[in-house]
Amino acid sequence: MYIDPTTGSLVLQLVAAGVMSGLAMMSRVRESVKSLFRSLDPRGGRWTQKL
Amino acid sequence: MDSEVVGGSFRDPSGFLYTRNGTLYRQVNRVFQDRLAAFVGSGLYDELARDRLLIPHRPVGLELAATAEACAVLQPERVGFISYPYEWPFGWLRDAALLTLELQERALTRDFTLRDASAYNVQLHEGRLIFIDTLSFEPRVEGAPWAAYGQFCEHFLVPLALMSMRDIRCGSLLRSHIDGIPLDLGSRLLPASTWIRPGTALHVHLHAWAQSRYAQGDSRRASRKRAVSRQAALGLVKNLRSIIERLTWTPAGTEWADYTLDNNYSQAASASKREIVTGLLGGAGPQVVWDLGANTGEYSRAARELALRVISFDVDPAAVERNYRRVRAEGESGIVPLLLDLANPSPAQGWAHDERLSLESRGPADALLALALVHHLAIGHNLPLERIASFLSRLGRSLLIEFVPKSDSQVQRLLQSRPDIFPGYSREGFEAAFRRHFRIEAARPVAESERTLYLMTSCAAGRA
Repeated sequence: MYIDPTTGSLVLQLVAAGVMSGLAMMSRVRESVKSLFRSLDPRGGRWTQKL
Repeated sequence: MDSEVVGGSFRDPSGFLYTRNGTLYRQVNRVFQDRLAAFVGSGLYDELARDRLLIPHRPVGLELAATAEACAVLQPERVGFISYPYEWPFGWLRDAALLTLELQERALTRDFTLRDASAYNVQLHEGRLIFIDTLSFEPRVEGAPWAAYGQFCEHFLVPLALMSMRDIRCGSLLRSHIDGIPLDLGSRLLPASTWIRPGTALHVHLHAWAQSRYAQGDSRRASRKRAVSRQAALGLVKNLRSIIERLTWTPAGTEWADYTLDNNYSQAASASKREIVTGLLGGAGPQVVWDLGANTGEYSRAARELALRVISFDVDPAAVERNYRRVRAEGESGIVPLLLDLANPSPAQGWAHDERLSLESRGPADALLALALVHHLAIGHNLPLERIASFLSRLGRSLLIEFVPKSDSQVQRLLQSRPDIFPGYSREGFEAAFRRHFRIEAARPVAESERTLYLMTSCAAGRA
């Protein structure tokens, strides 16, 4: 490493990476819930279109 | 023959650029030997060079090295004209940001990372942007944050956000801050509304706060036992990309953006001017042309048909943006649209005045185009004709220049709101001033106009 990454940027990046991971996890959970409902829905997913 | 190190190539101990017998080489020092071998061996170099994202090189013999530290010497494909971020239009800086993110994404997928994210590493080459620093890639240490994240924000995100959300002229801050616009300055200059936009709030405002909060460098306590996984690093790149993509600017409403549509040429005058320009320029046989008042690049394209490369300068950000968008949309190679205020051209700056070159030291061009320009310099900027001639004679070996007399409606517009203090501004005065620095080869009147086009040969350029 030859540039100074600066402590503040490293700390902020950890925060940002945490936020990204959290959002990605929420998105995965949301998709799982949607697919679960879709599989239970006898009308081909119309229940879950508004989720 | 001795090698000459490129002025701006000294920060990275891994290697440097130099020229020998006019050929450009990159020396790789032993300290970087393993990392270069890993980069090439991984296939990442081949992938990036094949896709024209990274400048290709060929390894040459170690006997061409500049110093004993060398473990390898590379001969990179040469970029015709090196330009700097403070000379780029908005779209170019934005595309350079997206290219940098794409490189980091591709590097991450192969467990590599970009060691730096300097905007100076991106150049326009053969009609598309390309990354020119081969030594910027190294294997990624698992869990390590992206060392260049702060640099990316200062070189790209802050200037683009300021240009998009505050004022396009904020781009000129890059000229005074050659290491990027500091986050705290960007945070103070951005509109208050950017605090409620998640992207700018996080990566600019909170980032600036974090830099200030941890200015004493106590990172161990702050980041103890926390790591950035590859997935999180890819998420960061994706997030930055979506923020950059949402930063836009519409090139309209500036003085010159519509000049091509709003000038005083009749159809016959336009046709005559174009015929004279191509005729005189063709006779001069230039390889490299600098079009000094290019507007959106109409005559740059005419010149490109006769030359290998045309640097298409203009002072107006909207005109240069339109020119750049056309280059990008049509994949035009050999036209480089850049921002330039000829009354205050890019200076030599950075360490020892040698890190970033002045406009003049990147020349001389084989030929200059100075069409509908001299009256703006002489009357708009109070520049004596003799001084204009002196500077132009150093910038180019040949000059194709248009003289616009006082009776022309465009000059009358300039004189509308000010007293005429320019008694020497006449065809005779113009010729006398330019004869001190040029040999006048030809003079052709433009049909249906009072204007005259001159072809001249410099008495100064290229003599050194």
